[in-house]
Amino acid sequence: MSVELSKKGLVLTATGLAAGYDGRAIVSGITVEATPGKVVSIVGPNGSGKSTLLKSLVGVVKVLDGSVKVGDTDITNMAPEDVAKIGVGYVPQIDDVFPPLSVKENLEIGGYLLKRHEVNERIEAVLEFFPKLKAMMTRKAGKLSGGERKMLAMGRVLMLSPSVLVLDEPTANLAPIVATQLLEEYIRGFANFGSTVLLVEQRAKAALRISDWTYVLGGGRVVLEGPPQDLAQNPIFVESFLGGGAKAHPPKD
Amino acid sequence: MSSFGFGLITAAVLAIATVGFTMQFAVTNVLNLAYGSIMINSAFVAYYVNQHGVTAWVALLGGVATGAIASWLLNRFIYTPFQRRNLAPITVVIVSLGVDLVGTFGLQAIVGGGYVSFNQSQGHEYHILGMLLSGLQLVIFGICAVVLVGIHWLLKYTRLGKAMRATSANRNLARNSGVKTQFIISTTWIISGALCGLAGTVFAMNAGVFEATSAQLYIVLLLAAMFLGGPGEPYGAMFGAVTIGLATEVSAAYINPEYKDVVAFLVLIAMLTFRPFGIFGSEKTN
Repeated sequence: MSVELSKKGLVLTATGLAAGYDGRAIVSGITVEATPGKVVSIVGPNGSGKSTLLKSLVGVVKVLDGSVKVGDTDITNMAPEDVAKIGVGYVPQIDDVFPPLSVKENLEIGGYLLKRHEVNERIEAVLEFFPKLKAMMTRKAGKLSGGERKMLAMGRVLMLSPSVLVLDEPTANLAPIVATQLLEEYIRGFANFGSTVLLVEQRAKAALRISDWTYVLGGGRVVLEGPPQDLAQNPIFVESFLGGGAKAHPPKD
Repeated sequence: MSSFGFGLITAAVLAIATVGFTMQFAVTNVLNLAYGSIMINSAFVAYYVNQHGVTAWVALLGGVATGAIASWLLNRFIYTPFQRRNLAPITVVIVSLGVDLVGTFGLQAIVGGGYVSFNQSQGHEYHILGMLLSGLQLVIFGICAVVLVGIHWLLKYTRLGKAMRATSANRNLARNSGVKTQFIISTTWIISGALCGLAGTVFAMNAGVFEATSAQLYIVLLLAAMFLGGPGEPYGAMFGAVTIGLATEVSAAYINPEYKDVVAFLVLIAMLTFRPFGIFGSEKTN
């Protein structure tokens, strides 16, 4: 990577967090921490509150109790545009691009907070990381395949050189081979570069393979946590998330 | 051929109005049925400025400013408070219908029911391609062309325009990208309101004489043009306006002109039945 793609990471901490809609908590008592250079994953069954948790961290869902910090900055219930400004890049699970805008325009909106002359420079840096996007700059985002679209969604957040990447099920609806490449090459790559990566992932095995620490959510609470090697030995976790009896591949060093 | 000429000028005025109307709907999520009443109120402000000795083309700026300010105020003090209550979107549509009636008949109560006209010459007459067009109408064509090119430039090449399109496509994602969408929405009300005021004033100038309720049925043409091109599609709005403008005026040569707006009604019903996302829109994005 010849151009710095993201800023060095900051610690993202949620402490005693409760969040939800219309004053009703979907998640509560959550304490999670994501640190620079690490991939921290959150796994759990459908409806366990994983997406709600991520949305509350980036200001999309209201925090009802507890706090969220990035470095020393308290971002609890901060407006999403201000969360982006302080260096948190969020890729939602769905609706992650602007379909009527071209690929280039999507990246330009990603760099909305940059000075005019910095935008093209950043686009070049992002294209260096996702070279496949180069050939489709004038294509509308709505016409991209699932994998291309997800690359664009990540490229969009990288435009602001985020310190923290918050990714909600980036492999949803992707072919297994594309999902593996996305997780092992790109997402692990962000952390290796020094960024802080917090990832919600439905594919538990794949998540364990690239994670340094994993939280398991159930019923809106953290029910288990630990390094993937330990979780892979936990019979309850294996039974619930790895298809019973199946052994998880130990994460790569 | 003369009905074709009428159709073109109707289309030009309608294009200015529809582009503002559809842009407003796309970015702000409000189907503002009071658009016609703001058009005619703006025309009356321009008319009164004109009556004080100011030339009609300068008075036109008064109409533009009125449309912009009235639309911004309408959003700030009426629509936004309703939207904040998380009510069903139809609630704001009904509110806008109420605003339309208050705006139109309130104006009528103030200015009376009589017809008025600008102190302005229609200009020389020109024979162009078999059509008889006045100098005034040629200027309106020119204004329409400048507006459409300007809107294209705004949406395609400026940071503000791209942020408007992003906000229209996905407001939450735009916020996550650092776009202050409330500012973008307020700015859209001002720009679309200015287009509304401009359209209302040139509509009144072109009509020759007008009164407080002259634009009351204009919303039907706007909706027909918007749904024909595709809701929220500015380029679709331009296409829809030309088609509806020509269809209503050319049909007036064959049916009682009193009923020419029925053609727009029919187009609106057909589009809502068979292709509610319009010719330029897609099912997915609408």
